[in-house]
Amino acid sequence: MSVAVDGIEADLAGLESIWDGGLGAAYAFYRRQAAPPVALAAAMVESALALQVLGGRPPDPPRLLLGDLCLARASRLLAGTRDQRLQIGFARAMEHVAAAAAGGPAAAPLRTLLVAVIAEAG
Amino acid sequence: MIARRRLEVPTSQATEFVDITSRLQDEVTAAGLRNGRLHLQSLHTTLGLALNENEPLLMRDLAAVLERVAPTATGYEHDDLPRRSGIATDEPRNGHAHCRALFLPPACTVLVEDGRLVLGRWQSVFAVELDGPRSRQLALQLDGDFATLPGTGGQPSDRELVDLELAHQLLVDPVAVQEPMRRLVQAGGKRLRPLLAMLSAKLGAQGDPLRAAALAAAVELIHHATLVHDDYVDEAATRRGLPTVAAHEGATSAVAVGVYYFAKATRVIAQLGNADVTCTIADAVEAICLSQMDDVRLRGSYPGDYAMYLRVVRGKTAALFTAACRAGAQLSGAGPEVVERLTRFGELLGIAFQMSDDLLDYSERSGKPRGQDIRQRVVSLPLIYATEDATLGPRVRELLAGAVDEDRVHEVQELVLATGALERVGEEARGLVAAALHELDGVELDGVLPQLEDLAMSAVDRIA
Repeated sequence: MSVAVDGIEADLAGLESIWDGGLGAAYAFYRRQAAPPVALAAAMVESALALQVLGGRPPDPPRLLLGDLCLARASRLLAGTRDQRLQIGFARAMEHVAAAAAGGPAAAPLRTLLVAVIAEAG
Repeated sequence: MIARRRLEVPTSQATEFVDITSRLQDEVTAAGLRNGRLHLQSLHTTLGLALNENEPLLMRDLAAVLERVAPTATGYEHDDLPRRSGIATDEPRNGHAHCRALFLPPACTVLVEDGRLVLGRWQSVFAVELDGPRSRQLALQLDGDFATLPGTGGQPSDRELVDLELAHQLLVDPVAVQEPMRRLVQAGGKRLRPLLAMLSAKLGAQGDPLRAAALAAAVELIHHATLVHDDYVDEAATRRGLPTVAAHEGATSAVAVGVYYFAKATRVIAQLGNADVTCTIADAVEAICLSQMDDVRLRGSYPGDYAMYLRVVRGKTAALFTAACRAGAQLSGAGPEVVERLTRFGELLGIAFQMSDDLLDYSERSGKPRGQDIRQRVVSLPLIYATEDATLGPRVRELLAGAVDEDRVHEVQELVLATGALERVGEEARGLVAAALHELDGVELDGVLPQLEDLAMSAVDRIA
C-alpha cells in the first residue's frame, strides 16, 4: 500500500495528523479488499468513530470536528464512486453503530459491517 | 397520485420471517393514503414475501417446510462455482435459497381502507429472508385517494410535505436517537433549507414532490445533525428555548445522534439514485465541516476580519443553502443554466441569512441569550465592523482581547450599537438578498419566483 501510488494524497488534506494514529493502518487493511477510494472511505469512517469515541467518553471538540471531517470526506469519496449500494451500505453501517452508541439496539463491530458492505457490493 | 418508497429490511439470520406489517402501516399513514392499494415488491432473488400468522412456533414450521422443499445440504448446480463464469470472488453458495424463492411470491398488494391496511385478524405481512443475514430492500408504491391535509384547501403545501417526510423519517429510527432529534425538529424554525430544495425541485421536467420532500428532509436532518455537534462544541445549554441534546441526553448521546443523522441523511439522498445530487450534498457537508474547524481555529485571532468571516460563513451556513438549491434543481432534471443560477442564488442567500443571524445576538427576541456570540468567540460581522470604527473600534478590540466577563459582554454590545455596525450589516444582508434574486432574472422559473422571493425575504426579515 502506498499513498503516492494510490493517488490519495489530495483526499488526506487536513487529515495528515491522524494517518499514523490509525487511519493508515485501517487503509492498509481495507485496501486488500477494495479500490483506493472505497478503502480510504472505510478507513476514514473507522477513524472518525474512533476519534469521536462513539459510545464512550466524549471527545474534546477538535477531535469531534476532525471526526466529522473524516465522515464528510468519506461521504464525498463514496459519492465519487457513484456506487449507490456502497453509499447506502456504508450509511447503514454507521447508523447501526451510532444508534447502538446512543443506547439503541446492539450492533456488530463497524469493521465487520463495512467489510460485509464492500463484499456485497463486489 | 402514486407515492413511491423504499423500505430497508435488515435481516439477522439465514432464514428469517421479518414481520413488516407495522412498518407498512406507518408508510400508509405517512403518505396520507386513505383508500387504495399498497404494492410491495422484493428487490432481491432470495427474498420473498408472505402473508401469514405471526406465531413463533409457526415460524419454525414454515422454516422447516422451506428446508424440506430445498434442503441446504443438498447439492445445487448453482453452487458449483468453477462451472460458472463472471461471478464475484465472494459469490455465496445459495442454490437452496433461490429454489426456495420459487415458492414465495416476490410481490404482493395489500388493500387500504380508511387509512388502514386491510388484513384479517391473524394476517401479518412478512419479508422472508432466504439467504441472510443481509440488508434488504423492498420497493413500495401506494396509489389511490390521498388525504387532503387540513388547511391546504387542496394539495399539501411544501412545508407540510417536508414536515410529513421528516415525521416519516423519524418514525422508523431507534428511540434513543429519534427522541432527541424529534425535539429539535419540532422546536420549529422556518425550514428555509428544505423549502429551497422543494422549490428548486419544481424547475425541471422530472419534478416529483415526494422525491423532493425526501431530499428536503435529508437536508434538514443534515442541518440538525451539525447543530447537535455545534451545541456540544459550544457547550450550549439551549437551542430555540429547549435543552440541547448535549445538555439533556448527555455528550455521549449528542455525539452519536449527530453521527446517526448525518449517516441517515446521506443514505436517504443516496436512495434517490441521482449521482449529481449525492455529490452536491457530499461536497456541501465537507465544506461545512472544514469551516467549522476553521471557525474554532479562528477564535484565537478573534474577532477576525471580513475575508475570514466570508470564508467561514460560505462553509458554515451558505454551503447547505447552496446545496439545497442546487440539489433540488438537479433532482428535477433542470438544465445546467438553471442549476448554476440557483447555486449562486443559494450561496448569496445563505451569506445574507448568516448576517441576519449575527444580528440576533443583539436582540431580545432570538430565543438565545444576548451576547452569546461574544461569550463563545464566534466570528460575527457586527463585531468585525465595530472594530473598524475609528473612534470606538480600539476599545472593542481591547475588550475582546482579554477574558470576556458579563460586564465586558454588555459593554461590547453597547459599543457595537453605537458604531452603527448593526445597520451596516442589515443593509449588507438586504443587498445580498437583492443580488440573490437578481441571479434569477431571466430564468424560466415555472411560476415559483414569488415563493422564492418570499423565502429570500424571510431569510433576513428577522432583522427588523
